[in-house]
Amino acid sequence: MNSTEQICNKAKELLESKAVECVIGYERATDGLTARPLFVYEPAEADKLIFDQTCTHNLVRYLLDRRDKATAIVVKPCDSRAINLLLNENQIQRDKVFVIGVVCPGIVGASWNQTSEKLQDACQSCQQHTPVIYDFLVGEPPTSEPAIPETYPDIAEMETKSITERRAFWAEHFSRCIRCYACRQVCPGCYCSECFVERLDPLWVGIRIAPGENEMWNTIRAFHLAGRCISCYQCERVCPVNIPLSLLNRKLEKEVLELFNFQAGIDAETPPPFSTFEKEEKLGVGE
Amino acid sequence: MTQLISKKDLLAWLGGLLKERLLVAPTRVEDLILFRKVDQVEEIVLDFDNTALSPKEWFFPTTETLFFVERKDGQVELTPATVEQEVVVFGLRPCDASGIAMMDSPFLAEPADTLYQQHREKTTLVGLSCLTACPECFCTSMGSAPNDPTHLDVLLTEVEEGYIVQIVTEKGKALLPDELLSTTEVSPPSPPSPSPVPSEGIVNKMRQNFDAPYWSRVADRCIHCNICAYVCPTCYCFDVRDYTDKGKIERVRSWESCQSPGFTRIAGGYDPRSTKGARMRQRFYHKLLYFPEGFGALHCVGCGRCVRSCPVNIDIREIIQDVQKLGAPSEAR
Repeated sequence: MNSTEQICNKAKELLESKAVECVIGYERATDGLTARPLFVYEPAEADKLIFDQTCTHNLVRYLLDRRDKATAIVVKPCDSRAINLLLNENQIQRDKVFVIGVVCPGIVGASWNQTSEKLQDACQSCQQHTPVIYDFLVGEPPTSEPAIPETYPDIAEMETKSITERRAFWAEHFSRCIRCYACRQVCPGCYCSECFVERLDPLWVGIRIAPGENEMWNTIRAFHLAGRCISCYQCERVCPVNIPLSLLNRKLEKEVLELFNFQAGIDAETPPPFSTFEKEEKLGVGE
Repeated sequence: MTQLISKKDLLAWLGGLLKERLLVAPTRVEDLILFRKVDQVEEIVLDFDNTALSPKEWFFPTTETLFFVERKDGQVELTPATVEQEVVVFGLRPCDASGIAMMDSPFLAEPADTLYQQHREKTTLVGLSCLTACPECFCTSMGSAPNDPTHLDVLLTEVEEGYIVQIVTEKGKALLPDELLSTTEVSPPSPPSPSPVPSEGIVNKMRQNFDAPYWSRVADRCIHCNICAYVCPTCYCFDVRDYTDKGKIERVRSWESCQSPGFTRIAGGYDPRSTKGARMRQRFYHKLLYFPEGFGALHCVGCGRCVRSCPVNIDIREIIQDVQKLGAPSEAR
């Protein structure tokens, strides 16, 4: 049985037994080529579910719209970290979520009416082919995960550049930002009931879609995700003006890894570094 | 009689124009095609499907100052912003020209939005016919066509010998001197045929189906970003805010969208469209019912940008098809 059949069967079973009200998975998009999210409520609709290498979305964000409702969700290994993140931050309840984890072959570049032969950048150096959390596993897990240490090659390259070069790089990219907030809306970690950018009192960022405000918006969002970003690259995938946002968010992931030996979403128990404090911790101030 | 301009003369003409006016044209930026101010003719991209963002920002900028208020010698002085720069937008597609004409309805209705009006008056539109249709395009179902000159000042259609020139308005005639044009026997290529969308009668179907459960199913997967509204050549919502600096006040407007949380929040905190589903439905009701009721036409030109850019494939063509299949309310429930 292939992944699609296993997911369809499981979804049917869960809906028929009323174990869940809804299964969130993927179906074919209207281009007939790529995938899109699908919410299945009736067993008969489960046959629409698919899984293949175009299933690029991280669906976990949708669990925040269904906090109190029993829901099954299809996750890839990278997406599965978002479930741990939300459990860790007490945003979802474990007993309300049935996790259909998929052993992931890697996802190809996929956007409207286009798929690439090549794996996405994130997938080329992926170290996690089996979800970190699941109730039902689709596919055969590899005997061992590749032991490549997290290297962040693109970030290491950026770090070799001077401050002036880095500033110019981001100024150029942020100048294109249209503040559509798709990066925020797709992010499993961006769930504030009122985002700072929409706060009027105090006013953090003005409404101008202009370099200063754009820079402020993108920088503060990145800091809010430090130690919380699960590097699912969704922000970068959805950006309509191709801002390499994961480069910024993963830079902070790298910093947190180096400082606290912590990566978000690997498990649901380790207290996140910015929610705890130990007396021995160095503050990096006046030292 | 058909008029023609050679590619060499076209580029020379554009090269001359950019010295005396602001020339805006499709350029390549980070794998995107965007309308940008052009400093050299070489930056202009002539071979593209359509731009990632529509040209609307040259009439309705992402951010624009409306006026300044300053206290001087005990008097309050209000200085409205004005548009001085003459602009040529080159290379827009006929669908996008229709989009600008559609923005005219709300912005130029009396009392006209003075800044928008000035942008319109100072800008000349030189369009490029589409030679191919993208799979997401449906202009012919929305009252336009790949070679529709209606809302342009000049329309160019590429042929082997250069570009067939259609001068549409006096403004266009004033911009493109006769001596650059020759007459030709070449006939224009037949336009491509975008896939049709059943838009006929959609207004009435929308009116009947406001409460259909269908909307919440589509809203399930909507992530409620503003991409669709911001890439759209016809969406025209904005927010207004005052900036103060040392007693000088600047009133600014910026793009905003009905998908934003708080877009309809009113004094006292009540928000009639507080749920995500209500906000997504609003977008389609504005396009397919409210705008047609107010201004006559469907609020969509079929450019396909929202279809292409939506991260979760909310596809207006599919929505139109689905709504056409919904019954009248008594049957739907």
